[in-house]
Amino acid sequence: MKNASLHRRPLLLALALAGALALPLTEASAEAGAWSDEPVRIVVTFPPGGTSDLVARLLAKHLDASFGQKAVVDNRPGAAGTVAADYVAQQAPDGATLMIANNAPFTIAPTQFETLPYEPMAGFTHIAYIGASAPGLFVKPDSGVTSVAEFVELAKAQSIAYGSSGVGSISHILGEAVDAALGIETLHVPYQGSAPAIQDFRAGVLDTFYDMVAQNSEMIEDGEAVAIAIAASERFPGVPEVPTFVEQGYDIVIENWVGLSGPAGIDPEVAATIHDATLEVFALPEVIKALEDLGITHRAMPSADYVSFVEKQIDVWKPLIVAAGVQGK
Amino acid sequence: MDIIANFAQGLVTVLQPENLLYCFIGCFLGTFIGVLPGIGSMAAIAMILPLSFYLDPISALVMIAGVYYGAEYGGSIASILMNIPGTPSSSITCIDGYPMAQSGRAGVALFVTSIASFGGGIIGMVVMAVLSPALASLALSFGPAEYFSVILLGLIAASAVSNGGALKGIAMVFAGLMLATVGIDLTTGDLRFTLGIPELRDGVNLVIVAMGLFGVGELIASILANREGRGRQEIDYSQFYPTKAEWWASLGPILRGGGIGSFFGALPGTGQTVASAVAYAVEKKVSKNGGQFGKGAVEGVAVPESANNSATQTAFIPTLTLGVPGSASMAMVIGALMIHGITPGPRILTDHADLFWGLVASFLVGNIMLLILNIPLIGMWVRLLQIPYRLMYPTIIVLICIGVYSLNNNVFDIWLTLLFGVMGYLMRLFRFEPAPLLIGFVLGPMMEEQMRRAMLLSRGDPMVFIERPISGALIAITVCILIYGLWSTLHGRRRSRLAALPTAE
Repeated sequence: MKNASLHRRPLLLALALAGALALPLTEASAEAGAWSDEPVRIVVTFPPGGTSDLVARLLAKHLDASFGQKAVVDNRPGAAGTVAADYVAQQAPDGATLMIANNAPFTIAPTQFETLPYEPMAGFTHIAYIGASAPGLFVKPDSGVTSVAEFVELAKAQSIAYGSSGVGSISHILGEAVDAALGIETLHVPYQGSAPAIQDFRAGVLDTFYDMVAQNSEMIEDGEAVAIAIAASERFPGVPEVPTFVEQGYDIVIENWVGLSGPAGIDPEVAATIHDATLEVFALPEVIKALEDLGITHRAMPSADYVSFVEKQIDVWKPLIVAAGVQGK
Repeated sequence: MDIIANFAQGLVTVLQPENLLYCFIGCFLGTFIGVLPGIGSMAAIAMILPLSFYLDPISALVMIAGVYYGAEYGGSIASILMNIPGTPSSSITCIDGYPMAQSGRAGVALFVTSIASFGGGIIGMVVMAVLSPALASLALSFGPAEYFSVILLGLIAASAVSNGGALKGIAMVFAGLMLATVGIDLTTGDLRFTLGIPELRDGVNLVIVAMGLFGVGELIASILANREGRGRQEIDYSQFYPTKAEWWASLGPILRGGGIGSFFGALPGTGQTVASAVAYAVEKKVSKNGGQFGKGAVEGVAVPESANNSATQTAFIPTLTLGVPGSASMAMVIGALMIHGITPGPRILTDHADLFWGLVASFLVGNIMLLILNIPLIGMWVRLLQIPYRLMYPTIIVLICIGVYSLNNNVFDIWLTLLFGVMGYLMRLFRFEPAPLLIGFVLGPMMEEQMRRAMLLSRGDPMVFIERPISGALIAITVCILIYGLWSTLHGRRRSRLAALPTAE
């Protein structure tokens, strides 16, 4: 597995075959602002269709449109993003292989798993921060609960079960963080992704669930669920009526961030080109709008700040993951 | 009347030349991809997803849907001709389809599967048009306890799929259940049986198991049997048409398969493989011709194809009306809609009625296209059997490798498929059937997940499975089937002893 030369030959063969099947491997054409003669592969840690994937496709589309830099999205899902991260860490640092970095392989896995095949910091060139969305706490309208204080009262009076998108997922971590900060004990019921959890919430099986707030704005509008707090430092513009935990006196901020990273050792000049191009793409009004639809707030951040951001996130999440009891197994 | 008016409106949308074109592209690509072993609708949808971003939402949805159900048409072709399922759900079609091909009735089998897929598709479409709101609320009334009970019922029914004796069938179901425990424990996050291999953290992919056990296993067996290329047979086109008796025999299975498939399709998570397996098991019990199942019964080809195609259509009900995708392919459908700013959910029927009804109408158009596309191609597919093995086998191996690689873009999966291939060959040697194993493998993780969730929510009280009415009724049916099975086994044995006949199995 570790031997790159052994690993690469069957890979190339399979890629060539995949190319024969008309997978989108177009021939190269470098223009000004582009940094690679070959099409850049943006590796995504999830299957097609999720937020990370949509962000990657947005980026790929506009890199081509604005800079003539051909880019294709390469989905390598599995094992909480560690398969994709391991793969990217082993690629040549020529800027032709990048990945959409996120919490799963970089801030959760380092604490959750005893051994990792890659180094989250030293193994990568973290190039550009893209943005973050925030999860929140949802309750039933007929529960009468509208604030965190009322939720604490309810949770102390009766046993409450909450749904999450899985063990070690962001919504699970938030659930544990809320329990710790509020001094309550709720029952965690893990699902595979948020959709089935929301289905059980609608069916009345679950009392509450945690999920990204923006994705559920329709449920809030329709009065099917009440979002009593969002775990962000500021309210999200898409759903301004949802207050933050911080406003209500509880210091709970969970950032579901995405960024652009590549294997360690990318030439600083190339990295700077990639960073600037990415920043320009995410400053386009059309792209900002598309990100907002996905619930993501974009922030521009120099590469150096992004590196220390990722490093800091590992420390911020560590106690939460340990508290959630999903560590070291 | 509303339904008819809405449907007509949808038909007008779909019959616009541009939408017709995308519908055709989707169906054609789907059939083609479905024929190739290992490459299912998921890979095909992933391929066209970027293209769909540049289309109208309706064109995009119609095209993606076409790929999805087109793949089910194509999936049965390799099952019948070579005992290699094109998609996991068509592995059930192997059971009777391959024996039919071996006895020179490949053309009939292909004809019947086309008709059955069409019938199932139309049934699924009607169910979706008429019952969408009802089925969406039914799916909502299915909590963890109900899911557990319905899966248990499916599992009991599935152990009847085997032809090699009940004990071997049950053994294979259990082997499948055990295999399914590999990977992260969904309730605690513990790693189980991963042997320190990161790729095994998510467990073994269904496609790998299906391609290994059926596809690679069959290839190894054929090569070791050292079969020489088949001689050139003359192809008589009249022999493709089923006889009148075969038409009539297929009708009931198509209707029943379509009904069962529609139900399982609408339950998020269960899907086509479960639908075709349960429909096959039910048909085997119900059919007058049940004894011929597994030996090339035309009913045994019709029922799974009808079931998996109707499930394919109704899978869109929870995806669109609840926003709950039942499979990775359906998750991509949601992704494709979200990029157009449409969030699937209860409001889609009112806010995007044109989209919903356009899709329903496209099922009619697409299924007719597929029928027209597939019937004339039967001759060509049968002709494929004349290709010498020395050319055919390497091609199939390459296709399986590409298909399996495309799952996660990971070479490890190819080695794993080879391992399952060897296992499939050994099972063949000792006359163990792969189909029950596959069903146990599909249902096992779902059953475990739902059971533990139900127990968590009931705070550890097992009565939840009996106290909730739907769950209680399902458990009661399961118990009845078990008692009947035991009774008929004992009864049958006594009778056979009385008749002093040697036991056949």
